[in-house]
Amino acid sequence: MSDVGRLALLLGFLCSLTAVASIAWGLRTGMSGPLRAGRRAVWAVCGLALLSVIILERALLARDMTYRYVAEHTSKDLPIQYAFSSLWAGQEGSLLLWLLILSAYGSAFLFAYRKRLDPFYDAVAMVIACVMVFFTGLLTFISSPFRILATPPPDGMGLNPLLQDPGMMIHPPVLYTGYVGFVVPFAFAVAVLILNRTGTRWIEEVRRWTLFCWGFLGLGILMGARWAYIELGWGGYWGWDPVENASLMPWLVGTGFLHSVMIEQRRGMLKTWNIVLIALTFELSIFGTFLTRSGVLTSVHSFAESDIGPWFLGFILLSSTLAVALILYRKALLESENRMDAIVSREGSFLFNNVLFVALTFATFLGTTFPVLSEAVTGTKISVSAPFFNRVNVPIALTLLLLTGAGPVLSWKRATASVLKRNFVLPAFMGVLATLIALPFGAGGVYPLVCIFAAAFVATTIVMEFARGVQARKSADSAPLPTAVLHLVQKNKRRYGGYIVHAGIVVLFIGVLGSSVFQKEAHAPLRYGESLHLGPYTMTLRNVEERQKANATLTTATLALQRGSRFVGVEHPSKALYTKSQQPMTEVALHVTPMEDLYMILGGVNEDGTTSIQAYINPLVSLVWGGGLIIVLGTLIAISDKMRLRREEKAAA
Amino acid sequence: MSKSIRLVVMSLVVVLAVGYLVLTGVKQTGMQYMTVSELARLDRAPKTEGFRLDGTVAAGSVDYNQRVPRLKFQMTDGKEKIAVVYDGLKPDAFADGREVVVEGAYRHTERALYASKLVTKCPSKYEAKGLGKDKS
Repeated sequence: MSDVGRLALLLGFLCSLTAVASIAWGLRTGMSGPLRAGRRAVWAVCGLALLSVIILERALLARDMTYRYVAEHTSKDLPIQYAFSSLWAGQEGSLLLWLLILSAYGSAFLFAYRKRLDPFYDAVAMVIACVMVFFTGLLTFISSPFRILATPPPDGMGLNPLLQDPGMMIHPPVLYTGYVGFVVPFAFAVAVLILNRTGTRWIEEVRRWTLFCWGFLGLGILMGARWAYIELGWGGYWGWDPVENASLMPWLVGTGFLHSVMIEQRRGMLKTWNIVLIALTFELSIFGTFLTRSGVLTSVHSFAESDIGPWFLGFILLSSTLAVALILYRKALLESENRMDAIVSREGSFLFNNVLFVALTFATFLGTTFPVLSEAVTGTKISVSAPFFNRVNVPIALTLLLLTGAGPVLSWKRATASVLKRNFVLPAFMGVLATLIALPFGAGGVYPLVCIFAAAFVATTIVMEFARGVQARKSADSAPLPTAVLHLVQKNKRRYGGYIVHAGIVVLFIGVLGSSVFQKEAHAPLRYGESLHLGPYTMTLRNVEERQKANATLTTATLALQRGSRFVGVEHPSKALYTKSQQPMTEVALHVTPMEDLYMILGGVNEDGTTSIQAYINPLVSLVWGGGLIIVLGTLIAISDKMRLRREEKAAA
Repeated sequence: MSKSIRLVVMSLVVVLAVGYLVLTGVKQTGMQYMTVSELARLDRAPKTEGFRLDGTVAAGSVDYNQRVPRLKFQMTDGKEKIAVVYDGLKPDAFADGREVVVEGAYRHTERALYASKLVTKCPSKYEAKGLGKDKS
């Protein structure tokens, strides 16, 4: 079977090459035959990638130890769901998943535009196929998942217990779907340059693809944050770890792009800038894969150092050089149609927003790669971590939060003084009010106060926008308020979806503020019947028991939890000791309320018979997850807006 | 004309502000990366206190008091050793021979690094020794 897998990948490589060559030929000569053949070759790569994945999955599920990949990442006692998810536990399998998602995007793209005969879409498919050449090539010649062992071991090396978590099942595929998806917008941009296309139609199409993968990337980051939060020793939901940063950077630039693209659509400005942003997003998502795989930086996600780093770096250099060359070559196409009328305008605030997103990305990039950079420049390796990012990124992020409120209510071209007064007096007043209310609750420091001001400011502008929309439709719609709001959103999903995303961002910021500023901690060794006190909570140790599971020994503590004098439940923090690797794995217990999480950790049973229990109160963490989910919801609403596209189609017909 | 000048000025302000933040950020929070040998071979107290060390946990050196909780161990790069003291629960993936990254203050008189952060790397696969060569 492994030979079939290897053959499938080789054929995939050849098909990708065929697709590129054939489409290029078709575009050059204007013949439709080669274009059709190229499209079919892209479909074929998808089929072949799927076949390879099925073969590797079969081997993983059967624990076929003749496969090196299976022997390295699984063992016979590994639960079946983690044998399945071992596909993306190692490098070769992860690359294969990358390829599968990439070719699925290629096919989905061709399917979506199957009725369009415009060669523009073939050019986009060609660019996607170029990226396929790289990945099929890597999998065929450099890092094959189908290596067979000369002497198969009786059992495999096993999967790291830390990866035996539901998070492993879902976080990497979702994140990859986001990462890989940025290939499509990039391909659009390159195709526009290659074919010298004018017009804004592609902008609307690319916006939806970008929203899709941007949403998935955000969801993937959120899931990673959740996993890191419940995993002990991964530094909470966000630790500014290089790999976390690597996933944040394309998200940030992608966010900037989603905003500036509106200016291009509306005013025909910033064309070069948009192409640069989308290329940057793509390169950063490849860079993210490079970071996790190359071992140049130390991270929680340490994968075995590998030899594919230079290939990725080469690919980034080559593709970005080509993109820059194309942009320079097509300078005339990217000429701006309008000039900016005033700085205090929608365009001005979006431009400022873009500058800040890029600055935020740049600062994150600098911080992440600082050890390498400082060694190259001064010879000493300096590393920066969370305090650096908090210092540099927090003020930029807070300015962006303020803009979130200001941007959407400034008018295009030029905002007059009366508009400013009408739109800003109430939000600013609410901001000041919220800040004054927060002061007695111990919200000291400039940043927390600015954050509270900005959050109230933005929330008020969003509510005002909704109120105004409902008001304007009142004559046409006499429905009760909730229905009226629903109708309003339905009428312009893109706009109000965007506002919902903004609302999610506000909620997220409050969650981050609460959990980073007001965390409390307590720990103690306890005997049965003794209690640990933290804030309003009392945790009383009832008992500790040990149980044998299939591949681990599980120690579970039972804590009776009281809030004030009221009994609220029984909690079970536990610790598993994996038999094979002798590695412990701590399962925290969480008592979640809207206002705070009580986070309980079993340290272990001590020699003197006491049991060590540690607990944290993490205020407002629910808002981090809630905010994230609101962002996803808003994205879904915005993505479902096909209206503009249809209207444009009608106008064109 | 004045508008484009204003735009340039605005961008410049942002660039300068970010540059300022980055520079002061590095100055105040940057930690010098050192190998265990470099730190162990210093014959006098270093000028700065903040250090970041990469290395592995020396076999048999782990002294963990779960009650406090306090974790003491020796870190090595194969040549020299440095004592590390970390106040906190032992991370799950922490064990003899594991790769760790610590950040903290180095006290030259004690020849010990008081770690404020301890990260245990999470290998996605264990050393694949003993699997032997490929058949094909």
